[in-house]
Amino acid sequence: MEEKNNCIAKSITLSNNVADVPILAGFVEEVCEEAGINMATMMQLNLAIEEAVVNVMDYAYPAGTEGDVLVDAKVDNGQLHIIITDKGTPFDPTAKADVDTTLSAEERNIGGLGIHLIRTIMDDVIYERVDDRNILTLIKKIQ
Amino acid sequence: MKTTFKEEGKDLVMYFEGRLDTSAAAQTEREMQVLYNCDGHDVILDCTQLEYISSSGLRLFLSLLKAAKPKGSHVYITGMNDNLRQVFAMTGFTNLFEFK
Repeated sequence: MEEKNNCIAKSITLSNNVADVPILAGFVEEVCEEAGINMATMMQLNLAIEEAVVNVMDYAYPAGTEGDVLVDAKVDNGQLHIIITDKGTPFDPTAKADVDTTLSAEERNIGGLGIHLIRTIMDDVIYERVDDRNILTLIKKIQ
Repeated sequence: MKTTFKEEGKDLVMYFEGRLDTSAAAQTEREMQVLYNCDGHDVILDCTQLEYISSSGLRLFLSLLKAAKPKGSHVYITGMNDNLRQVFAMTGFTNLFEFK
Protein backbone atom coordinates (compact mmCIF):
# COMPACT_ATOMS: atom_id res chain seq x y z
CA MET A 1 0.00 0.00 0.00
CA GLU A 2 1.42 3.38 -0.99
CA GLU A 3 2.16 5.59 2.00
CA LYS A 4 1.55 9.31 1.83
CA ASN A 5 4.19 11.56 3.28
CA ASN A 6 3.30 12.95 6.67
CA CYS A 7 5.21 16.19 6.91
CA ILE A 8 5.80 17.54 10.39
CA ALA A 9 4.65 15.93 13.56
CA LYS A 10 5.02 17.99 16.70
CA SER A 11 3.73 17.69 20.23
CA ILE A 12 3.51 19.80 23.31
CA THR A 13 2.18 19.10 26.79
CA LEU A 14 0.62 21.92 28.77
CA SER A 15 -0.82 22.09 32.24
CA ASN A 16 -4.51 22.91 32.66
CA ASN A 17 -3.66 26.50 33.50
CA VAL A 18 -4.52 29.38 31.15
CA ALA A 19 -1.16 30.94 32.00
CA ASP A 20 0.23 28.37 29.53
CA VAL A 21 -1.69 29.90 26.63
CA PRO A 22 1.31 31.92 25.37
CA ILE A 23 3.32 28.68 25.22
CA LEU A 24 0.58 27.23 23.05
CA ALA A 25 0.77 30.29 20.80
CA GLY A 26 4.49 29.71 20.29
CA PHE A 27 3.83 26.07 19.42
CA VAL A 28 1.15 26.98 16.88
CA GLU A 29 3.48 29.51 15.28
CA GLU A 30 6.21 26.88 14.92
CA VAL A 31 3.80 24.38 13.42
CA CYS A 32 2.47 26.92 10.92
CA GLU A 33 5.92 28.08 9.89
CA GLU A 34 7.03 24.52 9.22
CA ALA A 35 3.86 23.79 7.30
CA GLY A 36 4.21 26.97 5.24
CA ILE A 37 0.91 28.41 6.42
CA ASN A 38 0.37 32.12 5.79
CA MET A 39 0.05 34.64 8.60
CA ALA A 40 -3.69 35.28 8.27
CA THR A 41 -4.50 31.57 8.43
CA MET A 42 -2.06 31.14 11.29
CA MET A 43 -3.87 33.80 13.34
CA GLN A 44 -7.18 32.04 12.78
CA LEU A 45 -5.71 28.63 13.66
CA ASN A 46 -4.14 30.13 16.77
CA LEU A 47 -7.56 31.38 17.80
CA ALA A 48 -9.40 28.10 17.18
CA ILE A 49 -6.72 26.08 18.95
CA GLU A 50 -6.59 28.44 21.91
CA GLU A 51 -10.37 28.23 22.28
CA ALA A 52 -10.31 24.44 22.17
CA VAL A 53 -7.41 24.07 24.57
CA VAL A 54 -8.82 26.60 27.05
CA ASN A 55 -12.13 24.71 27.08
CA VAL A 56 -10.19 21.61 28.14
CA MET A 57 -8.23 23.58 30.72
CA ASP A 58 -11.43 25.00 32.19
CA TYR A 59 -13.74 21.99 32.10
CA ALA A 60 -12.05 18.64 31.63
CA TYR A 61 -10.49 18.21 35.05
CA PRO A 62 -12.36 18.67 38.36
CA ALA A 63 -11.94 22.17 39.82
CA GLY A 64 -8.68 22.52 41.68
CA THR A 65 -7.14 19.45 40.07
CA GLU A 66 -4.00 19.64 38.00
CA GLY A 67 -3.98 17.80 34.71
CA ASP A 68 -2.10 17.68 31.45
CA VAL A 69 -3.32 18.77 28.05
CA LEU A 70 -1.49 17.17 25.14
CA VAL A 71 -1.51 18.92 21.77
CA ASP A 72 -0.31 17.01 18.71
CA ALA A 73 0.03 18.57 15.29
CA LYS A 74 0.50 16.83 11.98
CA VAL A 75 0.01 17.50 8.32
CA ASP A 76 -1.62 14.70 6.37
CA ASN A 77 -2.82 14.85 2.77
CA GLY A 78 -2.84 18.64 2.67
CA GLN A 79 -4.74 18.88 5.93
CA LEU A 80 -3.53 20.14 9.27
CA HIS A 81 -4.66 17.95 12.15
CA ILE A 82 -4.54 19.29 15.69
CA ILE A 83 -5.29 16.59 18.26
CA ILE A 84 -6.01 17.72 21.80
CA THR A 85 -5.98 14.96 24.41
CA ASP A 86 -6.70 15.01 28.12
CA LYS A 87 -7.41 12.42 30.81
CA GLY A 88 -10.22 14.34 32.46
CA THR A 89 -13.88 13.56 32.90
CA PRO A 90 -15.89 12.94 29.72
CA PHE A 91 -16.33 16.34 28.12
CA ASP A 92 -17.59 16.87 24.58
CA PRO A 93 -17.29 20.53 23.58
CA THR A 94 -19.03 19.81 20.26
CA ALA A 95 -22.24 18.98 22.08
CA LYS A 96 -22.95 22.63 22.76
CA ALA A 97 -25.64 24.36 20.73
CA ASP A 98 -24.45 27.06 18.37
CA VAL A 99 -24.68 30.72 19.34
CA ASP A 100 -26.98 33.16 17.61
CA THR A 101 -24.71 35.87 16.27
CA THR A 102 -27.64 37.99 15.12
CA LEU A 103 -28.87 38.87 18.60
CA SER A 104 -28.52 42.39 19.98
CA ALA A 105 -26.01 43.27 22.68
CA GLU A 106 -28.63 42.99 25.39
CA GLU A 107 -29.70 39.55 24.20
CA ARG A 108 -26.25 38.07 23.55
CA ASN A 109 -24.96 35.54 26.01
CA ILE A 110 -21.48 36.01 27.33
CA GLY A 111 -20.66 32.35 26.75
CA GLY A 112 -20.51 30.01 23.77
CA LEU A 113 -18.18 32.06 21.63
CA GLY A 114 -15.31 29.63 21.86
CA ILE A 115 -16.91 26.63 20.21
CA HIS A 116 -18.53 28.92 17.65
CA LEU A 117 -15.13 30.24 16.62
CA ILE A 118 -13.69 26.72 16.45
CA ARG A 119 -16.50 25.54 14.19
CA THR A 120 -16.27 28.64 11.99
CA ILE A 121 -12.51 28.45 11.52
CA MET A 122 -11.88 24.71 11.24
CA ASP A 123 -13.16 22.49 8.45
CA ASP A 124 -13.90 19.61 10.78
CA VAL A 125 -14.17 19.11 14.54
CA ILE A 126 -14.32 15.55 15.88
CA TYR A 127 -14.69 14.45 19.47
CA GLU A 128 -13.97 10.93 20.70
CA ARG A 129 -13.79 9.35 24.12
CA VAL A 130 -11.19 6.57 24.04
CA ASP A 131 -9.75 4.69 27.05
CA ASP A 132 -10.48 7.35 29.70
CA ARG A 133 -9.26 10.13 27.40
CA ASN A 134 -11.04 12.98 25.71
CA ILE A 135 -9.66 13.34 22.18
CA LEU A 136 -10.64 16.41 20.18
CA THR A 137 -9.40 16.61 16.59
CA LEU A 138 -9.46 19.87 14.68
CA ILE A 139 -8.87 19.67 10.94
CA LYS A 140 -8.12 22.41 8.46
CA LYS A 141 -7.28 22.04 4.78
CA ILE A 142 -4.09 23.96 4.11
CA GLN A 143 -2.99 22.88 0.63
CA MET B 1 -1.03 42.73 26.97
CA LYS B 2 -0.83 46.35 28.00
CA THR B 3 -3.63 48.84 28.48
CA THR B 4 -3.38 52.59 28.83
CA PHE B 5 -6.28 54.68 30.06
CA LYS B 6 -6.79 58.33 29.15
CA GLU B 7 -9.56 60.84 29.46
CA GLU B 8 -9.74 62.74 26.18
CA GLY B 9 -12.33 65.49 26.30
CA LYS B 10 -15.51 63.79 27.37
CA ASP B 11 -14.37 60.39 26.20
CA LEU B 12 -12.91 57.56 28.25
CA VAL B 13 -10.25 56.00 26.03
CA MET B 14 -8.46 52.72 26.57
CA TYR B 15 -5.53 51.77 24.36
CA PHE B 16 -4.89 48.05 23.98
CA GLU B 17 -1.43 46.83 23.03
CA GLY B 18 -0.38 43.26 22.32
CA ARG B 19 -2.40 40.05 22.52
CA LEU B 20 -5.64 39.84 24.46
CA ASP B 21 -5.62 36.06 24.89
CA THR B 22 -7.08 34.01 27.74
CA SER B 23 -3.96 34.40 29.88
CA ALA B 24 -4.26 38.19 29.73
CA ALA B 25 -8.00 38.36 30.28
CA ALA B 26 -8.20 38.47 34.08
CA GLN B 27 -5.73 41.34 34.38
CA THR B 28 -7.31 43.22 31.47
CA GLU B 29 -10.72 42.83 33.09
CA ARG B 30 -9.39 44.58 36.19
CA GLU B 31 -7.88 47.35 34.11
CA MET B 32 -11.12 47.90 32.21
CA GLN B 33 -13.14 48.50 35.39
CA VAL B 34 -12.42 52.23 35.13
CA LEU B 35 -14.43 52.31 31.89
CA TYR B 36 -17.57 51.20 33.69
CA ASN B 37 -17.83 54.67 35.29
CA CYS B 38 -19.01 56.02 31.98
CA ASP B 39 -22.12 57.97 32.96
CA GLY B 40 -22.12 61.06 30.76
CA HIS B 41 -19.17 59.82 28.73
CA ASP B 42 -18.57 57.76 25.64
CA VAL B 43 -15.98 55.00 25.64
CA ILE B 44 -13.37 54.44 22.98
CA LEU B 45 -11.52 51.13 22.74
CA ASP B 46 -8.44 51.87 20.67
CA CYS B 47 -7.30 48.61 19.09
CA THR B 48 -4.59 50.03 16.81
CA GLN B 49 -1.87 48.09 18.64
CA LEU B 50 -4.03 45.09 19.44
CA GLU B 51 -2.66 42.12 17.51
CA TYR B 52 -4.99 39.37 18.58
CA ILE B 53 -8.16 38.76 20.56
CA SER B 54 -9.77 35.52 21.67
CA SER B 55 -13.20 34.85 23.14
CA SER B 56 -12.25 35.90 26.67
CA GLY B 57 -11.30 39.31 25.30
CA LEU B 58 -14.48 39.51 23.26
CA ARG B 59 -16.41 38.74 26.42
CA LEU B 60 -14.80 41.69 28.16
CA PHE B 61 -15.80 44.02 25.34
CA LEU B 62 -19.35 42.68 25.37
CA SER B 63 -19.66 43.01 29.15
CA LEU B 64 -18.63 46.63 28.91
CA LEU B 65 -21.12 47.27 26.14
CA LYS B 66 -23.93 45.70 28.15
CA ALA B 67 -23.11 48.02 31.05
CA ALA B 68 -22.60 51.15 28.95
CA LYS B 69 -25.71 51.01 26.79
CA PRO B 70 -28.29 51.49 29.57
CA LYS B 71 -26.30 54.56 30.66
CA GLY B 72 -26.62 56.05 27.21
CA SER B 73 -22.89 55.78 26.56
CA HIS B 74 -21.58 54.77 23.16
CA VAL B 75 -18.74 52.28 22.91
CA TYR B 76 -16.60 52.94 19.85
CA ILE B 77 -13.86 50.71 18.55
CA THR B 78 -11.03 52.16 16.51
CA GLY B 79 -7.98 50.89 14.68
CA MET B 80 -8.85 47.23 14.12
CA ASN B 81 -6.53 45.28 11.85
CA ASP B 82 -7.79 42.68 9.35
CA ASN B 83 -7.32 39.79 11.72
CA LEU B 84 -9.47 41.45 14.37
CA ARG B 85 -12.04 42.48 11.80
CA GLN B 86 -12.41 38.85 10.80
CA VAL B 87 -12.91 37.69 14.35
CA PHE B 88 -15.55 40.35 14.89
CA ALA B 89 -17.28 39.30 11.68
CA MET B 90 -17.21 35.60 12.64
CA THR B 91 -18.85 36.28 15.98
CA GLY B 92 -21.36 38.88 14.84
CA PHE B 93 -19.62 41.50 16.96
CA THR B 94 -19.43 43.79 13.96
CA ASN B 95 -23.12 44.47 14.42
CA LEU B 96 -22.86 45.10 18.15
CA PHE B 97 -20.28 47.86 18.28
CA GLU B 98 -19.75 51.20 16.60
CA PHE B 99 -16.53 51.77 14.72
CA LYS B 100 -14.60 54.96 14.16
